[in-house]
Order: sequence, then structure tokens, then C-alpha cells
Amino acid sequence: MKHILPLVSFLGLIIAAPFSAQAKVNLFACEPEWAALAREIGGDEVEIFTATTARQDPHYVRAKPSLIAAMRKADLVVCTGASLETGWLPVLLQKSGKASIQPGGVGLLYAAELVRLLDIPDRLDRAEGDIHPEGNPHMHLDPHNIALVAAALTERLKLVDAANASSYQAGFDAFSQKWRQAVQRWETEAAELKGVYVVAHHKSFAYLLTWLGMRKAVTLEAKAGIPPAASHLQSLLQTLRQDPARLIIRTPYEPDDASEWLSEKTGTPALVLPFTVGGDAKSGDLFALFDRTISLLKSANGV
Amino acid sequence: MRYQVVAVPAALISLLLNGAALAAQDNDIQAMKAEIQSMRQSYESRIAELESKLSKIESQKPSAPQAVSGSPAPAGNSGRNIRDNSFNPSIGVILNGRFGGYSEDNSSITGFAIGEEGERGKEGFAVDESELNFSSNVDDKFYGSVTAAIVREGNEDKIELEEAYIQTLPGMGLPNGANVKAGRALWTLGYLNEQHSHTDDFADRPLPYRVFLNNAYNDDGAEVSYVLPTSFYSEIGGGVFRGDDFPFGGASGGGFDAWSAFARIGGDIGENQSWRLGGYTLSGDTGGRAGNGESVNFTGDSNLYAADLRYVWAPTGNPREQEVTLQGEYFWRSEDGAYEDFAAATGEVAFDEHARGWYAQGVYKFLPQWRLGYRYSRLKTPDVPVGLLASALDAGGYRPEAHAVMVDWTNSEFSRVRLQYNHEELSRSQNDDQILLQYIMSIGAHGAHKY
Repeated sequence: MKHILPLVSFLGLIIAAPFSAQAKVNLFACEPEWAALAREIGGDEVEIFTATTARQDPHYVRAKPSLIAAMRKADLVVCTGASLETGWLPVLLQKSGKASIQPGGVGLLYAAELVRLLDIPDRLDRAEGDIHPEGNPHMHLDPHNIALVAAALTERLKLVDAANASSYQAGFDAFSQKWRQAVQRWETEAAELKGVYVVAHHKSFAYLLTWLGMRKAVTLEAKAGIPPAASHLQSLLQTLRQDPARLIIRTPYEPDDASEWLSEKTGTPALVLPFTVGGDAKSGDLFALFDRTISLLKSANGV
Repeated sequence: MRYQVVAVPAALISLLLNGAALAAQDNDIQAMKAEIQSMRQSYESRIAELESKLSKIESQKPSAPQAVSGSPAPAGNSGRNIRDNSFNPSIGVILNGRFGGYSEDNSSITGFAIGEEGERGKEGFAVDESELNFSSNVDDKFYGSVTAAIVREGNEDKIELEEAYIQTLPGMGLPNGANVKAGRALWTLGYLNEQHSHTDDFADRPLPYRVFLNNAYNDDGAEVSYVLPTSFYSEIGGGVFRGDDFPFGGASGGGFDAWSAFARIGGDIGENQSWRLGGYTLSGDTGGRAGNGESVNFTGDSNLYAADLRYVWAPTGNPREQEVTLQGEYFWRSEDGAYEDFAAATGEVAFDEHARGWYAQGVYKFLPQWRLGYRYSRLKTPDVPVGLLASALDAGGYRPEAHAVMVDWTNSEFSRVRLQYNHEELSRSQNDDQILLQYIMSIGAHGAHKY
């Protein structure tokens, strides 16, 4: 009996530890944009873990031990969905053993399910590369989509942490008012970008370009997820000589070789856009991300 | 509704016109028919336009407090159902073929009596294991998965049941982080054991896996694991098994002849590095284990202890472009029982010795599609009692070792081609140079990868 007592109290400590630490909602964000959005709405009530950085390609992330530990603690998981995280998220969800954060549960929010997706493939065939049957998952660069996700995230936060429901509503109200004004401002500022012809590395910027009415050319990747081949770049070069683009854009995590090569051959400026929060020093939150993206596009276009 | 309202007058008009047409000239009939056709078409296109407007308005009804108008998902846009129909299991197939060329006619690992899978692969062109996998959630509480490998043994194609297990889902109501798996599975032991061989970084398994586990331990049994609620990753677990798969054999069938336990921890070092460290044990009674074909038999207790370490570094934490993985495993096995070498006619000889082995490997992804790897493995053979001198188990103090160098090209998530060179010195005066050319392709469902 003497030996059992410390053991029981030790086990008690282990079991009680997560409860005593549950003063805040633990939110697991797959990508930095959702972490930033949760911070806008949840403020100090939410403890946020961001699984990836702006320098990481969210398609290719390892199901690292640290991610398993973070998922184990999560009360609410916010991810893009549309198969973006299909290579790593299922392992984390399974390992967590938590019913509430499984697909269909109140604790798992897929942002891509809330919006109308672009680039839904006509043909589902692996010969087309690493395609997403649901459509293009990189939906966060249309600020109207962010607004839709903000509303759904607020509802989920209220469900997971009913005690602070009013605080989340207040956070949402303040954010959405500020956001609406910002979107109007961005749309006015970016009016001159309408119709500007752009080449992108991957389909990462489809929503941004569609929102701003910019003209999309073919991507540097001939097939999604397969690095640009020399033959494809050559034919792209021919096309661009006929019909020159104004800009070549890529994310911070995409390699520079293909876009720099094309830039050198065509004289079209190649540009790294922040893509998500933390993508460069000046993109610290969602507002800054769009401010920065538009100012970069405008200054490069004005050259 | 709208369609009917417009359709009724349209039908009346066409009836009237058709009636009048009876008396009219043939060319008039043709002209009227064309007119009717064009009227019908214009009505129908207007109806379709109205219907699409209606459905658009319906789909844009906000479901949540919505401050800014955007483009919400159309109703029933649950994309997951396209890929993974919940009423069909996921089906995946691994196609695996290779060409092997060896400088030595025979290869045997001195000092160990090994199982068939642990032997050197076939020379020449061969279709390796082709794996068929079916998996699905069974219901709200269970997940099930079957992996069958079609292999060629002798001159026959045989089906080997590699895995057939059920696993609890979080809906089961077990404590968070807890998980039970039962059936036949690649159990948690070291790093490689729970991985399917098609995800390996080399074309063959390292020496310790070949001699201690016959490539992989997938006995029948059950395992419990629990991810502890700590700030860093930590997991503990253990299992009980029938005791029929190498390193065991000849299970009495009366209960569980083997058991395992493990503990793992892991974490990150900054944003670019991650690691995991584990300790494992697998112990049990061996009723009678055949090795080296059927020529050696072991009966007694086998205790295996293992440790593994894996470290991953990627610039900016982005493994897509470049990555270095370092991995090593150490095995220590003690056996207490009796060995008999039929070929050397030793009779049953009491045996209480230990053996050990380890490997270390590094794989460098230097371009998004290209990787280069090196692996070194080494074994310490057991000392043998006098009765086993000059038998297959007598290595005379020799320590087998092997080097492997590989380069592979990964076109997409689903295809990989690999060239590997091995230099193996597994017995005294045996220098085996091997060239292996291998392809691994995956069609159908392709699960997420473990760390």
C-alpha cells in the first residue's frame, strides 16, 4: 500500500494536468493564416499552436512528434482541407485519439468547405499530377473567403468554449467591421491591377488573381506538384514572347530557379509574395498580409 | 412550377399551329415547324436561366452570422465525399519490381539461423511483393485494414496476409490519446518495423532486421498505445502476441507466448529540426523456430531489446525542396534454450548467449525529386557452446557487416525508381557486391505517412 499511494498521486497528476491547464482553448491551426484569424477573433482566450510556417509548403509536411503532442491537446483544429493536408493531418488526428476533433466533429473546421472553390478538375486522373478533386485549396487569398471562415470559426469557438461566447462575438464583430473597410480599401487600391497578366509557379494565387480580376497565364508547373520541366518552360517562354506577362509570382516556399530563369529570358520581373501571415517581415497579421501583397503587386506593375 | 406555367401555353400554341398546318402547304409546314422550334428553344433557355438564378440565390443564403458577402460554398459541396466515398473502402495497390545482380553465388549470414524473408533477394528480374490494401472505418468505433502481399516463393505465387487488423476510433470513448489495435499488424518495434517496406529508404532491410526479425515482426496479437498529455511528444504502449512469427515460432496456442513494451519521446529543435527516440522490448517463448530453411531449430526464451533514433533537418523546415534524415537502430538479443543444427548433426545443445546488431543511415534529398543515401550495418555474432562448434551458428568470432549506397528518383508522391549498390561481407571470405534496380509505384488510395 505504501508504494501504491505515490503511484496513484502521480497518475492523478498526469490525468489532472490537462484539466488544470485548460483555462484557455487550445487551438491547432494547420496554416499561419488560420492562426492569425483565430488571434483576431479569440484574442487572449485562445492558446494557438501553428503547425506550419510561411516558409513551408503545406502539401508536404511531416507528421512530426511535436505535431502529435500539439494535436493531443487541441480543443479546436482549423485547417484548409480540400486535401491540402492529406499527407500528414490524418496521422495526427488518429494519434490524438480525441473524438471531438475527428472529421465531422465540432472541433475540426475545414475552411475550404465553406467557400466556393476554383479549379475543380474536369478529369480525375493521377496523370494530371497531384490534383485536388475538391478544387484548388489555396482559398485564403480572397479576403471575402476569410470573412466567411471568420464567421464559421466564431461559431465553433462559441461551441467549444461557451463560457466566453460573448467575447468571441465581440471579437468577430470588431474584426468583421475592420475587415469590411479594409476589403473596400484594397479593392479601390488594386483597381489598377485589373487585367494585368501574371505567371505563377503553382496554382497558389488563383483566388488572389481572381479576386483582383488579374489575368492568369499557365503555371510554371505543367502538372500540379511535379517540378517544372525544361520542355514546359521552353514552350512557356515561346508563349510569353508572343504575349508578354507583366509579373512572375511565387510563394516564399517555392524554389526560385524556374521563375528567375523565365524572368531573365523575358525581362518580366519575378516577385515573391508573402502568400500567408509571416511570409515576410512586413506581413505580421492578416491585414498586413493583404496590404503588403497589394503594395508589392502595384509597385512591381508600375515599373 | 415556372416550367409548367410556361410550358402549357407553349404546348397549346404548338397544338393550334399543328392543327392549322393540316390544311397548309408543305413548305409552310416546314417554316412553321422551324418557327415553333425556335420559340421552344428561346423559352427553354429563358427557363433554364431563371432556374439557375433561383438556385444561385438559394445557395447564397447565409448559414452563419455573415458580415461581409463573399462566395460561400454551394449547398452539398462536401468535397470529401468525392475522394473517399464513405461506403466504399479505400483501395490501394503497391507495384514493386526489381533487378538484382550479385557477385557471389551464395550469401549466408554467419552465426545466425535466419528466416526466409531475411535472406538475400532473388537474382535477376523479379516482381517483389505486390501489396493490396483495403481499409475503411468500420463504424463509429472501429477502423479496419487488410494488406495482402502477393509473393513468389519457389515457383508459385502465394498470398501472404501481411496485415489484417482492427483499430479503435476516437468515438470508442477510450481516454484521449489511447488506442487499441488487434489482429495481425506490423507492430511497434524500432523505427522500420511498423513501416511498410515500400516506404523504406533502401531496397532491402538492414542486417539487424534480417537476422532478428526476419525483416518484420507481424505476429497475431493486440497492442495498446497511449500518447501522454505532455507538452512534448511521449507515448507508451505494449502488446501480447500469439508467438508464431519470427523470432518466435511453434506457439503452444494455449495463450500469449510473447509480449512487448515500448516508450517513445520526440520533439523539435527550432523550426527546422525534429527528432524521435524510442526504447522497445519483445520477449517470449519459442516453441520451435526453424532457421536457414529447416536446417536449424531453436527452442527456448528469446528476449529482444531495441533502441531507435531518428533526426530530420530541412532548410526552413520545408522538406519539399531539401531534407536530411539520419536514423539508427540498435538491437540486443539474448536467447536461453537449445539449438539444434540438423545439417551438422549437432543434436540439441543448451544455449544461453546474446547477440547484437545495429545500423545507421543518412539520406539526403538534394533536389525535390532526387535523394542520395548511405547505410552501414553490423552484427555481433553470439559465442557458441562447444556442442555447436562447426555448425551454422559458429561464426568463430566473425562480425558480419554491410554497406549500402542508393540514389532514387521520385517523380511524384506515387512513383519512385531506385538504384542501390551493396557491399556485404556476411561470412568470412565472402565479398558480395550487389546492384539493385527497383521501382515502387502506388495506385489508388495512398495513406498519410508516419514520421
